[in-house]
Amino acid sequence: MSSATSAKNRRVALLIGRVILAGIFLFAAYAKLRPQIPDTPWSAAAIKTSLSFFAMEVNSFQLLSDSQVSFVAHTLPFAELMLGLWLLSGWQLPFSGAAASALLAGLFGVMVRTYVRGLEINCGCFGPGERLGIGSLLRDASMLAFALAVTAVAFVSRPESGSTAGAETESRETA
Amino acid sequence: MTESANCKSFGEDCLRTKPVRAGRGTIWAACGVVCLLGLSGLLNSAPALGQTHPATAKSGAAKAAAKPVVPAEVVKALGDKNAPVTMEIFSDYQCPSCRILYEQTLRPMITDYVASGKVYLVHHDSPLGMHKYSGQAARWVTAAAVIRKYPEVEAALYDNQDAWQANGEMEKFVEAAVGQADFKRMQKIMEGCMAPDAPQMGGPPGAQGCGVDPAIEKDIALAKQVPITATPTYIFIYKGKSYPAASGIVSWPLLKQFIDQLLSQ
Repeated sequence: MSSATSAKNRRVALLIGRVILAGIFLFAAYAKLRPQIPDTPWSAAAIKTSLSFFAMEVNSFQLLSDSQVSFVAHTLPFAELMLGLWLLSGWQLPFSGAAASALLAGLFGVMVRTYVRGLEINCGCFGPGERLGIGSLLRDASMLAFALAVTAVAFVSRPESGSTAGAETESRETA
Repeated sequence: MTESANCKSFGEDCLRTKPVRAGRGTIWAACGVVCLLGLSGLLNSAPALGQTHPATAKSGAAKAAAKPVVPAEVVKALGDKNAPVTMEIFSDYQCPSCRILYEQTLRPMITDYVASGKVYLVHHDSPLGMHKYSGQAARWVTAAAVIRKYPEVEAALYDNQDAWQANGEMEKFVEAAVGQADFKRMQKIMEGCMAPDAPQMGGPPGAQGCGVDPAIEKDIALAKQVPITATPTYIFIYKGKSYPAASGIVSWPLLKQFIDQLLSQ
């Protein structure tokens, strides 16, 4: 009875966790893709301009070559969008959680490196205009810790692997 | 061309302190000024007024060595004001990132997109408190803008940043950039600006007697309004609307890509 309750609690916690995590990634993608000038209608040209603007922000990290910057700037927002939708769907949550954690860890590493180098630039994490500083580092560290927690819980409470393992043990004992 | 026609549009001629031929109007104006001063009992202070007020200086005193007047609006900009894209840059002449941005990105942009009328490039001074001589450098550039030699002096200061930032001796680079005659004109504008109390971000206002300081303080006030916390920071304006401020170094190919995209909208 108590294990059933705790499993149910874990499922609820996982649901809340993945929705929050999905929200973070979907918002990050939206903030990069939206037209950066207020009252500008959405269009393919406006999205391309936003991505070009984001490329300049990625460039200011002084980490990649121009072609690499262009590739990252034009794929990262879509990767965040896909990841957000994947997390929201709940399908293969341990793996979507791991992917989210890996992405956040990579971005956090880049941010720490840039901060240590003393570059005073925009973070570009949730669209333009946000400074890279202690505040944004703490926020990203919290998000990374949260993503890792969601991933760990998702791996622990994988229903199919747990039930299969249990069934195998039972059949061995019977034999 | 008459004296008044020269001064209608602000330029080099307005700053020359050449003797003015006294016409009838000028004589009457001079008499009027003298009478007014006498009536108000200020006759003793007339020489002081003559030094600061351009009209009084012209009206007979003919002070060849009078200090040129710095206009309220000193524009440090390049290109066509009506260009579709305006890029406003807040920078500090002693900041290494600003130099890199200028040398590697703005220079090709100036020769290409500014020259072809696509971009109007506006400079705003944001001398940071951490840089000892940035305020003085901003003063020289502003003085250069008054005599329309802003691009030359800006380039000279960035090109020789390593040389002058150690001791603040930037005059020789300024002189080399503009030539001896123009340097003398700049020196006149810079009278009273040699003190180390140049205006800086977060610092007190500049020296009282320095004519170019109000223009720099205006830029600093604008920088606080944005707000600018680091240099270089740049803002793009397209069709009257501003993009959010971005900071740091950006390469010319990526900046070009963004401007092209903006222009294709």
